[in-house]
Amino acid sequence: MATGFFTDATLCIGCKACEVACKQWNELPSDGFEFTGNSYDNTSQLSGTTWRHVDFVERESFDESGLKTSWSMVSDVCKHCTNAGCLEACPTGAIVRNEFGSVFVQPDICNGCGYCVVSCPFGVIDLIEAVGRGDDAKKYGLATLHDDRLNDRKTAVQATGGVAGKCSLCFDRQRVGMVPACAKACPTESIQFGEIEELHERAKRRVETLQERGVEARLYGADDIGGGIGALNAFFLLTESPEAYNLPVEPVLPSTRQTMGYAAAAAAALTLATIGWAIFRGDS
Amino acid sequence: MKSYYDRPLLKGPHWGANVVTYLFLGGIMGGLGLISLLSDDRPEPAMKKLRKATRYTAFALAAINPPILISHLGRPERFLNMLRIVKFKSPMSLGVWGLVLYSGAAGANALRELADDGIVPSALRYVAPSATVPIQALLGAFMAGYTGVLISATAIPLWGTGKRHIPAFSVCSGAASASALATLLSTLQGNHEVIPRLERLEMAASALEIVTIADFRKRGGRATAPLFEGRVGKRLRDYTILGGIVVPFVLNAVGGAVRLPKSIDALRSIAASMLTLIGGYVLRESLIEAGKLSANDPQAAFRQPS
Ligand code: SF4
Ligand code: SF4
Repeated sequence: MATGFFTDATLCIGCKACEVACKQWNELPSDGFEFTGNSYDNTSQLSGTTWRHVDFVERESFDESGLKTSWSMVSDVCKHCTNAGCLEACPTGAIVRNEFGSVFVQPDICNGCGYCVVSCPFGVIDLIEAVGRGDDAKKYGLATLHDDRLNDRKTAVQATGGVAGKCSLCFDRQRVGMVPACAKACPTESIQFGEIEELHERAKRRVETLQERGVEARLYGADDIGGGIGALNAFFLLTESPEAYNLPVEPVLPSTRQTMGYAAAAAAALTLATIGWAIFRGDS
Repeated sequence: MKSYYDRPLLKGPHWGANVVTYLFLGGIMGGLGLISLLSDDRPEPAMKKLRKATRYTAFALAAINPPILISHLGRPERFLNMLRIVKFKSPMSLGVWGLVLYSGAAGANALRELADDGIVPSALRYVAPSATVPIQALLGAFMAGYTGVLISATAIPLWGTGKRHIPAFSVCSGAASASALATLLSTLQGNHEVIPRLERLEMAASALEIVTIADFRKRGGRATAPLFEGRVGKRLRDYTILGGIVVPFVLNAVGGAVRLPKSIDALRSIAASMLTLIGGYVLRESLIEAGKLSANDPQAAFRQPS
């Protein structure tokens, strides 16, 4: 039975409890502080060390009563795609689909080649740079960790040459029957965790309710999203178009381009071989 | 246009000079496989010399390319993780196996030449069957092509838009660079007889390359802008298009048409070869650098190339 997330933009209050709970449970280091000025979003993006990221879509409009500001927040996460670009690209087999149907990176097998990073159509997975001592430790706010603690880390953050990092859908928690940390921490049930089919039911009911109330609501990724990717195990209810939340409208599974690529390469090679044969051996 | 504060949607490649070099040398290895096949089994001493030069060079490149790839992994022993599995859907995985097999074939061919030269016992010639010559050429074509598929089968809009063009011009660029390298080696060896043929092969490869690049530019639209405009575009135009294709093409054409004094002709051919090699490297470098810029443009990533 596959499990996943249903994240509902109409319930999110932008508290970022999910971001914090995820960082704590997964022992992910700080990314440093950057003040962006983009509404209340100073996290900016998902990364190798940020596995939940709350989007703040801020809109300003004028009417007779003056300036009006509206917000739509939603917590972004790895989509755990049915056909995952990262998983297909990984040359070491570090990225696997686990028994919960989630896409999981095994940090001890990943060799840091970075090919998954450019193969995710959603820009989710990223490399966590080597975390050691000295400057690295400072960058990630690890300077205060004891050495043995640093060495013992079982999470993606190891003293390695860099590994890929992204949401694991709390594989470790799920195995002992616990709910993922972000869903557990979410105070409004904007992040719901459960079996996919059940989440789909709930999401459809929610859209109906919202539409009855005149709210423009749409699901993102509950059904096949196209481009060969299929449905997303982590799907969303949005009130704006996907671009507003930095989500692709038409994502494409990169491996679908391979056949064409190899064919084009073969055609070029054959052409050159024929010309070469004429140049070198045409007289024999 | 809608966006999320213009923040990048995608993550760009974490690749630098070592990966660029790896791709560049992979292309050359492919071209050398072809030249080794074309010069195979010919009675002329000049062809024999060329054959040996390409085989030794191909083997040397096959030996130094893995360390270059490994140098980008942080902890070198982790390269072995790539050899856990063969994955047909991953060009990175297939490419590593292609490299391993190519090294084997190139090694066999180099061994046969060593035996032929009397450097190793001549009986060793029979260890390596001559079938490894076409095999090396086939694997070479794969090596040169997969370096293009590797980048075009990703989510980066520029690279994805080039799903046909990038693999095709990677093969052409590899063949042109390999011809240039073989020309250089032959000039050094004083093996002038083969140079006109190598230069003609180089011209054919460069011509096909520039036509493919031009077509890519024409069809690209917004997604290909990072490669052809701005800082990267200028570098590509100066070093690859003009310096690496047009100028060497003219130099080679002059060499083919006019009888120049020997020393001037040698200079001409060395210049053309060096420029072609530099152009080939800058082409790969520009592709990677423009890929980073492309990843930063959310507008190109909302609707991804099919
Ligand atoms: S969203 Fe990206 S990182 Fe997550 S499973 Fe899909 S391809 Fe992989
Ligand atoms: S960086 Fe790691 S997880 Fe990503 S493709 Fe390479 S080996 Fe696989």
